[in-house]
Amino acid sequence: MKRKIGALEKVDADLPNLQHKIRNDPPSYRDDFVSQYSQYASMLELFLQSPTTTDDTGVVRLRDLIDFISHVADCYPKITAEFPNDLIKLLELHHKSLDVELRDKIVGSLVLLRKKEIIDSNTLLNTLWPLLIATPSKALRALLFQKIVSDLRTSNSKTKNHKLNRNIQTICYNLIASDPASPKGLWAVKLTRELWRRSVWTDAKAVSIMEIAALSQDAKVVTSGTRFFLGSDQEREEAAEDESDDEEEIDMRKLKHKAGINKKNAKHDRELKTAAAKVKRKEKKKNAHQTLNFSALHLLHDPQGFAEKLFQQHLQPAQPKVRLNLEQKLFVLQLVSRLVGLHKLTLIPLYSYFIKYLTPKQPSVTAFLAYLAQATHSLVPPDVLEPLVQKIANEFVSEAAAAEVASAGLNGIREVCVRQPLAMTDTLLQDLVQYRKSKDKGVQMAARGLLSLYREVGAQMLKKKDRGRDAALGLRDGQNQGAKFGEVDGGGIEGIELLEKWREEQGIGSDEDEEAWKNWDAESDDSMSSGGWINVESDGEEIDISDSEDEKDKKASKKKAAKEAEKENEEGEEKADAEKASRATASLEPEAAVRREEARISKLATTRILTPADLAKLNELRQTAAITANMPSAKRRKLQQQAQANAARHADDEVTADQIAGLAALSHKATKEERIAKAKGDPDEPKNDHRSTTARRKEKKEAEGKSTTNKEKARKKNFMMTLGKAKRKGKRSLVEHRRILKAHVDRGKRGGKRGNY
Amino acid sequence: MGSSSKKKKEKKQDFQKPKLKVGKTRPKNTNATDTSFSAKSIVLKQQSLSESGRDASTLFAHNLSLLSSKNDVQRRDALTYLTTAVAANPDGLPQPVSTVLSKAQPLILDGHSPVRQQLLKLLKVLPKDEIGSLEQTLLYTRAGLTHLSTDIRLTALDVLDWLLETNPHAVMGVAGSWIKTLQTFQNLLSWQNAPTTAPIPTDGKWSSTKSTSNLGSNKLLLHQLNSLSRFLLAGLTREPPDPNAEQRQAAACFPLYQTSAHLLPIKSNPFGHLNLFGAPRDVESEVYEDAEERVNIFVEMKMHSAFRHGVGEVKRTGGEVGRAAAMVERALKLVEVS
Repeated sequence: MKRKIGALEKVDADLPNLQHKIRNDPPSYRDDFVSQYSQYASMLELFLQSPTTTDDTGVVRLRDLIDFISHVADCYPKITAEFPNDLIKLLELHHKSLDVELRDKIVGSLVLLRKKEIIDSNTLLNTLWPLLIATPSKALRALLFQKIVSDLRTSNSKTKNHKLNRNIQTICYNLIASDPASPKGLWAVKLTRELWRRSVWTDAKAVSIMEIAALSQDAKVVTSGTRFFLGSDQEREEAAEDESDDEEEIDMRKLKHKAGINKKNAKHDRELKTAAAKVKRKEKKKNAHQTLNFSALHLLHDPQGFAEKLFQQHLQPAQPKVRLNLEQKLFVLQLVSRLVGLHKLTLIPLYSYFIKYLTPKQPSVTAFLAYLAQATHSLVPPDVLEPLVQKIANEFVSEAAAAEVASAGLNGIREVCVRQPLAMTDTLLQDLVQYRKSKDKGVQMAARGLLSLYREVGAQMLKKKDRGRDAALGLRDGQNQGAKFGEVDGGGIEGIELLEKWREEQGIGSDEDEEAWKNWDAESDDSMSSGGWINVESDGEEIDISDSEDEKDKKASKKKAAKEAEKENEEGEEKADAEKASRATASLEPEAAVRREEARISKLATTRILTPADLAKLNELRQTAAITANMPSAKRRKLQQQAQANAARHADDEVTADQIAGLAALSHKATKEERIAKAKGDPDEPKNDHRSTTARRKEKKEAEGKSTTNKEKARKKNFMMTLGKAKRKGKRSLVEHRRILKAHVDRGKRGGKRGNY
Repeated sequence: MGSSSKKKKEKKQDFQKPKLKVGKTRPKNTNATDTSFSAKSIVLKQQSLSESGRDASTLFAHNLSLLSSKNDVQRRDALTYLTTAVAANPDGLPQPVSTVLSKAQPLILDGHSPVRQQLLKLLKVLPKDEIGSLEQTLLYTRAGLTHLSTDIRLTALDVLDWLLETNPHAVMGVAGSWIKTLQTFQNLLSWQNAPTTAPIPTDGKWSSTKSTSNLGSNKLLLHQLNSLSRFLLAGLTREPPDPNAEQRQAAACFPLYQTSAHLLPIKSNPFGHLNLFGAPRDVESEVYEDAEERVNIFVEMKMHSAFRHGVGEVKRTGGEVGRAAAMVERALKLVEVS
């Protein structure tokens, strides 16, 4: 006869149930826990005698017991005091032979114990880190790495846990420093990179780990170290953007509208509230103080020493300690040249290193050209660069070379010369400039780029006919002589003479200045007092929206005043420019030029202190003066665009191989497929296709979720449907008739149905 | 004519130069050898097919290996085979008894009761004097005693009974057997250490009840008490002192003095209790070879008082359980004899 099993007993027979009960009422289930714990103890002892056996046969397995105990360990701290140590010891001694599932369970349990704050982060990380380096199992490594990163993230989530960070960073550093030739250092690099990406580690210590990694003697460690410096900051920015982007936009207006229409119940109410809270939180996050993170390249302790060591260790010797292939070498070279360009370092042997790679047949030669340009800056001696430029010209730029090659060469030369114009000789430049007559579009454009560059920085090297009007005039004026080597602009204030002229025109003397200084903070509050002060404050006030009538009036008057002031400025400037032009054409003697140059150096900055309003005005004047007023509007616009594009390219940005090879795309005729693709439009590159403006506008509108206008709808209406209306012409009312007639007259004035208004 | 133009095209194709681009890697040569490979593995869907023609020893070994099979029927069948094999020929087994025991003992914790029943049968036919070290067996037994499932607990108690019946001295000689086993019993019966104070530390709000593990299982409690009394008897009984033994021995080998110390030891691992090569042991896992030592530690750890208190309470329930408790009490009296 079968023994009847009581319901309670049956329920007792599984650990999750017991776990649940214990969590609810720890003291009552103490006995059950103790018996389970003693079973764990005996199982563990058994297991320790033969760690390789799997424990799959029994009903209750060791890993279940470990899981159970770690879940309730916080209820019985005294009984389980030894439990974490047992696990750590088991893992440390037997991680190679443990059953996979048991091993993962132990790791998970340790992390769980850390979450319950039974063990601290240091203990956990000091257990997991050596395992990560020692274990041969790939799966375990992935698990451990993930756990380590997540633990470091959580312990840094509220405030930075500097003590822990320093500890782990030191461990990472020592791992690489103690044995530079071992590939284990890769884990230190990986961890640092991941934490850098997530903005957990942002300090110089993390950078120093990567520094030593880049100087180590294992190819993989070296590569990942250098790649960190080259790409980590973009990665970090992208990660930050991703985080803010991943929550989809909530349209509050739409939701409120929905709530107004749909049936009202508690659930919808709740949903609306959560959405509102989410939007609010997001707004708060957006307005929150943005932490300023320094780029890794700026956090280096000794860039000169680092660049020198990198170059001497990996690139210069014929038999380096670690053999890098071309791709890895290029990474190192990129980093070295980036450092040289960014910090304006002096590393003379680097330039002669480039020489042997500057041939068209060299694989990825465009990268070499880009890195050469990157390594050039204004403090590199021109006689070091001259042979390089000469070599590029000889190897790449000739009638016999392919168009692509020539354009790449010209582009490379141009990028070098942008940074150090003195690297070019007259004869070579005059020779190269002649390629602008080439039949090939790419070569043509590249040569033109070089020409326009030298019109700005060294017009005297060009032939007279190539200089162009502006450069020629400038030369005659004595400007545009080109900087000498090592010359630095002596800290003048750009555009100060414009301000002086403007003050003369406005009739502001030194007495008024003193007054202005006396109550300058009062004035800055009251923007009505003088025209010159308006622009400081006007931006802020236009933004906030208020309903009171008085304020509106005030604002309107303020705007009017501002407009008037602007008009005056413009008139003044036009006059000044006209004067300047006439004077320039009238006097041709060099002496006069010298005199004018002296006069140009303004006394204003040395005689008085500029008020904030002065500075604001100065900025404005500088911007308007930058685009010469008497140019035709199309040309002016073009110049403006160019200036903007140049400003957008930051000095810290790198030169890429694509920029060098960019114009080569023009050298070959587009295939039919390419043309079709352009006509269809690429969603990734909306600017660069051949679609019509209308098509683009339409797509933009659709993307914004907007509908068509009534007019567009009417235009598209089926012809048959409009017939009924047309037939009724005779039956119109007088009012209707009048409206139609008026519309007709109006249309005539505008110049047609779709005329410009 | 058509064929000639075709031929021309073919010829042209042969000598076409691959287009090289500046800054890009060279395209692979047409005669380049692809050295990549992918590994393949062979999966055998069934084990060895040939059952016949195997001699007894291989069959024995095969069945021994089947003890760790995933299939419970296979495990049981293997146990049955081993039982008959051992019973038929206890002296000339192809493998030592200790190997059989070490393979079979994990099945104490097996989830299927037929397997465990068969395991008990196997244990009972094993020849007593060739069993070898019992350390692991005792560990498995202790694990079984605290198992969640009542059935497994019962089996573990049966195994403990068998151990005490066959080889009580060897059981007591195992490291940690005395104190740890007693602690396990103490836990199971929830006879707490200090009977005078509150039995379980609580928050003070609730009076806690006895654990539910004994609910509705008088049979289990009975068995536990019986096994405990046997265990205590085995542990606490002193060997009757033989006053003449020493003289007799001295007379037997007269010129020699303390002969036994110089002879080869008669039991296995005679210095095991010294624990020369293992990890250091604490009080619980120490070996207590002598009954005197066992009594002392039993009193020292305050187990004696706890057990007496617990037994007193159980005895009051009367009936079969009360009788078993009386047995335990009788065993406990052995402490006071000294």
